[in-house]
Amino acid sequence: MEGKVAIVGFRMMSAPDLVTSRERLTFELTRGLLDDLGIDRVDVDTTIIDSNDFLDGRTISNVFLDGPAGAYLRDESKVEMDGVNAVIYACMRILSGQYRTAMVVALGLTGSQVSPYLHIEYALSAHYDRQTRLLNELNSAALQARVYLAKYGYSEELLDEIAAQALGNAALDPYQARRISGVGKDEVAASAYYYEPLRELHCYPPTDGGCAMLLASEERARELTDKPVWVLGMGRSIETFYIGERDLAASPSTAQAAERAYAMAGVKNPGAEVDLAEISALFAHQEPLLAEAMGLLEEGKAEEAYRSGDTSVAGKIPLNPSGGALGGHPICASGLIRVAQAVRQLRGEAGENQVGKAEIAVAHGQDGLCAQQNAVLVLGV
Amino acid sequence: MRNVAIVGIGYTPVFVSKRRDVCIPEMISEAVENAFKDSGLTPADIDAIIFGNMHTFEGVNLPHLWCADYIASLGKPVMRIATGGTTGMAALHAAYYHIVSGLHDVVMVVTYEKHSEGDSQVGLLGIITPEIMAMLALGIDVTGQSGMGAIGGGSAGGISYQASSYLAHSGAGIEHIDAIAAMERRNAAKNPYAHLKDPEATAEKIAQTPLVSYPIRFGHICPTSDGATVCILASEEKAAKLADRAAWVWAVSNCCSDATTGNLIEGIITDPAEQMPAVIASRQAYERAGIEDPKKEIDYVEIYNGFAHQTLMFLEKIGMCELGEAHKLLEKGELEMSGRLPVNASGGVVSTNSIGTSAMNRVTECALQIMGRAGEHQVEKEVHKALAHGWGGLMQYVTITILADKPKKP
Amino acid sequence: MGATEEAFITPAIPMDFTYNYRIGLYMTRYLEGFKERKIMGSRCSGCRKIAVPPRKYCGVCNKIMDEFVELPQEGTLENFTVGHVVLEKGRLNPAENPYLLGLVRLDENASLLLARVEGLDPAEARPGMRVKAVWKDQVEGDYGDLDHFAPA
Ligand SMILES: [Zn+2]
Repeated sequence: MEGKVAIVGFRMMSAPDLVTSRERLTFELTRGLLDDLGIDRVDVDTTIIDSNDFLDGRTISNVFLDGPAGAYLRDESKVEMDGVNAVIYACMRILSGQYRTAMVVALGLTGSQVSPYLHIEYALSAHYDRQTRLLNELNSAALQARVYLAKYGYSEELLDEIAAQALGNAALDPYQARRISGVGKDEVAASAYYYEPLRELHCYPPTDGGCAMLLASEERARELTDKPVWVLGMGRSIETFYIGERDLAASPSTAQAAERAYAMAGVKNPGAEVDLAEISALFAHQEPLLAEAMGLLEEGKAEEAYRSGDTSVAGKIPLNPSGGALGGHPICASGLIRVAQAVRQLRGEAGENQVGKAEIAVAHGQDGLCAQQNAVLVLGV
Repeated sequence: MRNVAIVGIGYTPVFVSKRRDVCIPEMISEAVENAFKDSGLTPADIDAIIFGNMHTFEGVNLPHLWCADYIASLGKPVMRIATGGTTGMAALHAAYYHIVSGLHDVVMVVTYEKHSEGDSQVGLLGIITPEIMAMLALGIDVTGQSGMGAIGGGSAGGISYQASSYLAHSGAGIEHIDAIAAMERRNAAKNPYAHLKDPEATAEKIAQTPLVSYPIRFGHICPTSDGATVCILASEEKAAKLADRAAWVWAVSNCCSDATTGNLIEGIITDPAEQMPAVIASRQAYERAGIEDPKKEIDYVEIYNGFAHQTLMFLEKIGMCELGEAHKLLEKGELEMSGRLPVNASGGVVSTNSIGTSAMNRVTECALQIMGRAGEHQVEKEVHKALAHGWGGLMQYVTITILADKPKKP
Repeated sequence: MGATEEAFITPAIPMDFTYNYRIGLYMTRYLEGFKERKIMGSRCSGCRKIAVPPRKYCGVCNKIMDEFVELPQEGTLENFTVGHVVLEKGRLNPAENPYLLGLVRLDENASLLLARVEGLDPAEARPGMRVKAVWKDQVEGDYGDLDHFAPA
């Protein structure tokens, strides 16, 4: 990659119900970020908005966000997928040399929505799955969880342990939506089944949230911040939609995305070189599954890793020190929040969840059923 | 910055009101197949894919996910772009940045719309559904608020304000809208991928169509079409190996303004004919392309004109003629395929509108003119540089692409 | 004014849109097959894999699947989940009774078909069980004709 791109700042917010409008949320995030950096909207060369028309209940949802995002009479485009992809688009625009700064704003308000799973129902094939009404996001995740556990002979208890670790981290994170203290694996195991083996606390909570992030070219980044976080590598991939044709216990598209990101970043041995990972695991089993695909956990060693504390904040490879998506999953913004959480770690600003050594981090975002489409960033200081 | 070329174009065999024979992914795959045929490339040559459509029109969400197997995308980076009417060009711009960033070499852009499967008026109304619902909840009579209802109601309502304002400022008359609509329907008759074709169209004939909302007549309005367009872009190094003919991207730009409806609600009505984003985006594109005098240097223009008056209005906004001059060029026949400044030889959006493709088709049509491959609707003059314009959002978002017949010098 | 000081109205949107999805050439063959109580798939000429239901493209090979094949009515339950909830119009509601959803393999080369599995206690389900298709009494070429699978 010629030239460098840095993340120079972010603002984020999430809650079960933010009691706000999309427009005001967008404004508060972007205005707040500009104030943090001491710049004005005209100092932003291009804006990438990331939202989903179905989620927003509005056709061309970016038109009402252009103004609040500070893009009035300026350059703006819209990505409609997980926020990590919006960061990648912003990086490309900066790498072109045409822009020095790019604002990424992503938001999703499902927490306060009457029908929080509706937009995923519409994201199934129109002429089959939506007609048979058998497939949905939760039962496909359950099928994936089952084959993953079966592949290595893990018990359902592993899911409780993963969720307990994530929820414990989330409880200490001021930016998370689901902050419940004192939830151990017994409490997780006592939550109701959705689709076996997945219980309520193994699944992401519908969340309201958003994130604004400013990226800049190397030269501009050094003017704007003393603590730039560099985008070292980017990778993306997609696999087939049909869950009946996929190896659900692995995630080949995540592996491919990670390989591409590592190759760009010059990371040869991710297990040893990466200090922490913020992974969009929407369901407990996806955290080790995706971490294995990204070469951060040894395959078949998930039980040992979680029980020995290797994946905890103080462990060898902290996974989701923020609590990850089990602590909040505002669709579209979710992956961008993972990036922002990784930035907090790399800047040493993660408070009670700060990991020891934080020089190289991985942030991951996903779209589709059972993580059909994946995007991976490697970040460093 | 690296040079980028358009090296392959694929359309569905037809753009029509209803494709009853195929489902959404099957229809898209036809355009993908044609783009591979056209370029001589294979799926293995493609590094990344951009996908765009306006999914609320068909009531489908994130179709790139469940169409993944049909667009040669497995194992590749795929980016979904959606900006309303400009989606097709915004997606093409994303492909451009994939390449100029140095990260990818060959990128395929897939756009489609299958309007017949949903209700386009509902899709458009969806832009301001929250406002309308809020008004209903507050007991405001929406039908009484004709401006409000009209803006959302299929956009023809809001557009009538734009057309009235344009006529008042430009000195053009409704007969000029009739004439430009007739010209484009005649052009469309020569384009195998156009939807509404009438080789015999005349201003008089268009003038007989019913008035929808003054000054917009039925004959001034685009159809809703089913169709898909695929375009393959490549870096200069790859293009040299891949294609003997190419159209080169010299500049891309875009600009957005405030949502007009928001102002309508607050009672402050922005003139919908002002279109500052078109002025700003075109100036930026000229600067990026090193074009000093677009009137002299641009040979051909494709305007995004969901409504016929927009061809004239936007020609002025993008500086291809003086304000109030476009209808005079039309009177002199200069906008015809045989004219000095041919416009929308394809028939424009007013003849064919499968919305996800519409802004992209402006670019692919410019590319065909530059490569001399437009067949029956090839314009008489030689086209060295062409400008493609996209318009949409809530009447406040403009995209511009400038193409040329050779790579841009560094 | 901060976000929490705003006044809100929360209008429910009283709209139910209708869409006319064309099912295309391949799904038409599938549903035509249902009229004769047949389960059809399409075979890829590249990898020889069979997609059920049939479709035009094999994304792995980027090849058109041009061969239709009839699949056996009996297969293996490869994976399953017991549902305790139902998703209805985007909302999560408790299910009346736990129910079984399975991925069924009808041929070693065929993709897994998602279907309801009935006729056994969900707690008794095991991967590898043999199951067979159970059709509605009256078949009419509709998605619901293939009602569920039951132990063979
Ligand atoms: Zn195959």
